[in-house]
Amino acid sequence: MSNIAKRQTSTLDKVLRVALYVTLLAMAFVYLAPFIVMLLTSLKDVEEIRTGTLLSLPASLDFYAWGKAWSGACTGGTCEGIAPYFLNSFQIVIPAVLISTIVGALNGYVISHWKFRGSNFFFAALLLGCFIPFQVILLPMAKTLGWLGVANTTSGLVFVHVVYGVAFTTLFFRNFYQAVPAELVKAARLDGAGFFTIFYRIILPISTPIIVVTIIWQFTQIWNDFLFGVAFSGFDTQPVTVALNNLVNTSFGGKEYNVDMAAAIIAALPTLLVYVLAGKYFVRGLTAGAVKG
Amino acid sequence: MANLVIENVKKRYGQNEILKGINISIETGEFLILVGPSGCGKSTLMNSIAGLEEVSDGRIMIDGQDVTFASPKDRDIAMVFQSYALYPNMTVAENISFGLEMRKVPKEEREKEVSRVADMLQIGHLLKRKPAQLSGGQRQRVAMGRALARRPKMYLFDEPLSNLDAKLRVEMRTEIKKLHQKLGTTIVYVTHDQIEAMTLADRIAVMKDGEVQQLGTPQEIYDDPANLFVAGFMGSPAMNFIPAQVVEQNGVCALSLKTQSNVVLPFPKPDALSGHLGQTVLLGLRPEMITEPQPHKEGLEFVVKADIEVEVTEPMGADTMIVTRIENAEVNCRSNPAYSAQPGDTIAMMFDTSKAVVFDCETEERLDK
Repeated sequence: MSNIAKRQTSTLDKVLRVALYVTLLAMAFVYLAPFIVMLLTSLKDVEEIRTGTLLSLPASLDFYAWGKAWSGACTGGTCEGIAPYFLNSFQIVIPAVLISTIVGALNGYVISHWKFRGSNFFFAALLLGCFIPFQVILLPMAKTLGWLGVANTTSGLVFVHVVYGVAFTTLFFRNFYQAVPAELVKAARLDGAGFFTIFYRIILPISTPIIVVTIIWQFTQIWNDFLFGVAFSGFDTQPVTVALNNLVNTSFGGKEYNVDMAAAIIAALPTLLVYVLAGKYFVRGLTAGAVKG
Repeated sequence: MANLVIENVKKRYGQNEILKGINISIETGEFLILVGPSGCGKSTLMNSIAGLEEVSDGRIMIDGQDVTFASPKDRDIAMVFQSYALYPNMTVAENISFGLEMRKVPKEEREKEVSRVADMLQIGHLLKRKPAQLSGGQRQRVAMGRALARRPKMYLFDEPLSNLDAKLRVEMRTEIKKLHQKLGTTIVYVTHDQIEAMTLADRIAVMKDGEVQQLGTPQEIYDDPANLFVAGFMGSPAMNFIPAQVVEQNGVCALSLKTQSNVVLPFPKPDALSGHLGQTVLLGLRPEMITEPQPHKEGLEFVVKADIEVEVTEPMGADTMIVTRIENAEVNCRSNPAYSAQPGDTIAMMFDTSKAVVFDCETEERLDK
């Protein structure tokens, strides 16, 4: 006879467990509902949208709206869909993310391992950048861009996003590198490695989690930005968020909600994709250094 | 050839003076230990020698060259850190050869050097592993291997054993000593463990509050401490400090104290006490100089028997420590385990003052130097 007590699963336990799952499913539905409505609407034709309810299923799968949103819908003056602006966004986002991440990594490395007189003040001043509302800098930035000769260009937008992003990326990398023992850098210095060699050979290889976090953060921020996009872009350099706004506000005759929804989903896809692919690093990176191991 | 010369080195952080004029000079091949309580500046001094911290004043010379303002890589020294500081993204072999790679040693020679070092430290089977896959003791060996690979002029060890468990620490201590005997390279070694200091050093610099209290061989430091701090810091259990009155006996100065009986202890250098007749001084007596009565010491010049009351006994195997109280100071006596005593007993002990020292109660300086 074994006298080890068996774990008792009472009826109450079961009821509580079911209640837990029901609550979780309900919460998940609340969060997913807008996306479901968007998806359903984008697959209906205009007639169906007018007669049916928000959640009613489309009669047939119709990708007409997606095609039109991509390459035919009118955004202000032109009717080429959001495809060209989609490309614009990538032309802005990729260099801006890369540059701000690299600069942030170098800043963080310097602030935590090559302290200089006033480096703490420098860091505090940079941090202030995280708290300045976008609207405040619109006019001075427009002046600056004009003065630099990059107003209304892709380079100008990249510049704005890098300047704004460096405050955040520096904060991320600095906090991560604070947890890297100073002795590692000292050992490398004694071994004869210089500033960049240590960064490239020792610091960067252990930075994967924070690089991923920074890239996700910056990609999402810059891709989703509307204010800088609408204020500083030229006619040909508008990012997809601005184009989406123009598309929704431009209507000839009836409003094509299906096209609006399809365009919105397309515009949101890259950030979704980045998060799905690298999301586990995001959670891991945010908690990195919390527990030694 | 003087190998390492530290001349009047000072280090200030704002108003705070961490090093207050350090002077140390050692020969090639010497094993110097910097020892002291935490915050005494020993690690700062070590970092200054390595060039990782700039000194505010003074001069550091290695092999006759002034390196005070040289960068760490130009000083040709290697350092073993307390946390080992192994590069986490590199294998053991890459860790060991990194310094050579930075000095542009050809790949073939690097591999040869790695296997030489690995043989010496018996870490050949670990070469392909990453630091995270090693135990504490193995990491320690790899850290030493990294230092050995470059064959530098000097090794710096910054508390290399303090993260190991007690048994491994003793093993590695012996290993470091063997290594030093084999290589004959100058070593500067920081520790707060006075046993490590005694066992390893050719010379010890005892530090406190940014000053060197005494620089000498382990035996000099043990037998002839410069002041109360050094006497109390080195030795385990620590030296006993007993308040005693200077009296005159048979025309020479001696020390009177009250145990269970009144005793007058003769002192090897009575003249040093003559200026303090009638005053109270601190008598410094190592525990091993207060023992059970030993027949072969009976009648020796500086040996006196006295009764004490046992407060606590602490058997340590080889000896039993008997703790008593004399003139309100706790006193440790080292006795033979066979000489059994119970707390509360009054027993006879033998006081041997042939190596006793005395300190001023106020200034804590030696009176009989």
